Amino acid sequence: MTEAVSPRRLRGLFVAFACATLVLSLRVGYWQTIARGDLLEGATGQVRSDLVLAAQRGVVRDRSGALLATTVPLRSLYAIPKRIGDVAARANAAAKIAPILGTTSDAVTAALDSGAEWLYLRRRLPEESARAIEVLAIPGLGFETEPKRLYPNDALGAHVLGFVNDDGLGQYGIEGQYDAMLRGVPGRLVVERDPRDRELAIGLRTAQAPVNGADLTLTLDVVIQTSVERWLKDAMDKEKATSGSIVVLDPKDGAVLALASYPTYDPSAVAKADPQALMDRAVSWTYEPGSTMKAITIAAAIDQKVVTPNTTYVDRGCAVIGGRTLCNALGKSYGTSTVTQILEHSANAGAVFVASKLGAEQLHSYLGAFGFGRRSGIDLAAEAAGEVRPLAEWYPVDLGTIAFGQGVAVSPLQLASAYAALANGGTLYRPYVVAARRDADGEHRTAPVVLGRPVSAYTAATLRTMLISTVDNGIANGATVPHFSVAGKTGTAQIPSDDGRYIDDAYISSFAGFAPANDPRFVVVIVLERPQSKLLGTVTAMSTFRNIAQDALRSMRVQPDRP
Amino acid sequence: MIASQAVRTAPVRRTAQPRPHHTTRAHRAPAHRTHRSTWELRTFVAVSGAIACVFVLAMLYLVQSTAISTLGYEAQRLEQVRDELRRQNALLEVENARLDSPARIDTEAKKLGLVRVATIRVVQLEPITAKR
Repeated sequence: MTEAVSPRRLRGLFVAFACATLVLSLRVGYWQTIARGDLLEGATGQVRSDLVLAAQRGVVRDRSGALLATTVPLRSLYAIPKRIGDVAARANAAAKIAPILGTTSDAVTAALDSGAEWLYLRRRLPEESARAIEVLAIPGLGFETEPKRLYPNDALGAHVLGFVNDDGLGQYGIEGQYDAMLRGVPGRLVVERDPRDRELAIGLRTAQAPVNGADLTLTLDVVIQTSVERWLKDAMDKEKATSGSIVVLDPKDGAVLALASYPTYDPSAVAKADPQALMDRAVSWTYEPGSTMKAITIAAAIDQKVVTPNTTYVDRGCAVIGGRTLCNALGKSYGTSTVTQILEHSANAGAVFVASKLGAEQLHSYLGAFGFGRRSGIDLAAEAAGEVRPLAEWYPVDLGTIAFGQGVAVSPLQLASAYAALANGGTLYRPYVVAARRDADGEHRTAPVVLGRPVSAYTAATLRTMLISTVDNGIANGATVPHFSVAGKTGTAQIPSDDGRYIDDAYISSFAGFAPANDPRFVVVIVLERPQSKLLGTVTAMSTFRNIAQDALRSMRVQPDRP
Repeated sequence: MIASQAVRTAPVRRTAQPRPHHTTRAHRAPAHRTHRSTWELRTFVAVSGAIACVFVLAMLYLVQSTAISTLGYEAQRLEQVRDELRRQNALLEVENARLDSPARIDTEAKKLGLVRVATIRVVQLEPITAKR
């Protein structure tokens, strides 16, 4: 039998329980009210993950749909050295994976023995390498995917495309110019996870879907671009030139069919590139155009009706203007010549004659109308404006020198635009690279933009005829393409030095032309800086034009316009 | 099982023993106990039934939750498979573009000893069409 508990003990026990209950209640109350936030935070922190959902960067294609740039998640190799095993196991693992990574086993071992608990061994591996390592099934090695911008055509169109840096930001070219559009808007996913880091189907789930970047279709033609880069490299190798660039425009709307700059780089391996190679010399670099400018001077004079193609003058080899004597190249004189023959002979004295008839004010005005001295507005980053000094700063001699392309600075793209205006009947279009963008709202096509009409259709047609004669009968004969009419003009310019003089025996050779001349499908401007054949650099420029024109005419399936 | 037996036996006992007209205190006690046991049985049955219902509902919920979780994991697995297939597809598209590259074809053609044709004769289509 149990002994009865005394009331006093019972009361004591009650008080003790009451006190304990009160303390516990207060404690529970504290956690439920004041410290509730901390508890919630701690609890949710253990199971909730807040992820940024990366938007897919837009794809870039050429005018026919060929893939030029795309983003693919590639696998990055990471290691948890402790899970690999002891020193011997790590050395063994390093020996196995080092040949696949293309490095030494010592380098891998050093990384594994660095003391890091978790480290990347190689980021964004080629798929073949990732598969080879996966087959080894080494414990402690794992993969996670990271987006990588891939350019299937390697360096093709590098200066148009630009590149994407390690932070995912577009740099140079259209990757830089259209970065915000290509990048899209990242989304967000808040979700609860189990201890194995898997998403819980029943639980908190808040998702904001990412908005993928727009896909771009360029005006580039991958076949013509390949041809241009091939023949530019060929010319560079032949002439050992410092740099070179080529622009191919569609004169009907200003679309850039091809654009190349040399030296070039591989957008997938920018870290290895020479910083000088990143410059797009077709767009961001300017030079004194030389005799290619004579066509513009004569177009202005014909448009102003101060001369006709048959106007004659007596070429004595030199012309005096503003108290200075300006002479033809190599001291040649041509006697009585027509304005057409000025282009055929590329006579500086003849250009001075035409400019004198035109006047400085008109010449300055026409230079502006043809787009020189201001940015064309092409949708590529870092376009150079070139330089046409204000009329007030012109010396009397400048009228003569600018008439044959010295004393002004233009970019190859500006010169191509100006020649496109002559080719298409007198309309100056803004050059453009992006033909269309496709986003969630559908496809948006780029409408050609008319910048102005520098010369009349009659003047443009007249100049076309004169430039055909320059190729058929004149100095630009090397640009002839069998069975096709070609219009064009060579240019050889001296290079100004920092002290304002011209560098001795160093030139920039160029050629600007279009074909078929009677119904132009493309305009090509080729510029070679400091060719080793010096004054004969234009011969290489012309043969480069001929090769590109043949490839382009073949690719475009253009019917011959000559027997 | 016990509850159902108790329910069935109670009416039998009621019909077998008719209620006496005169009851003494000694006679009333078993009747009272019988009445109370019936009430307890009913309560027991009701509570047991409720517990059973709650249990069944809880089990149903558990089964549903487990099924949803399992399907969630399966959905995740399928999403991973889908993502991997998309990745592989993107890699194949890149490879396809690489193989289609005119520069690569040019290089391969040179390796095979092929040379470019000097000229390509283009047939004028308009006269042929006109004759038809």
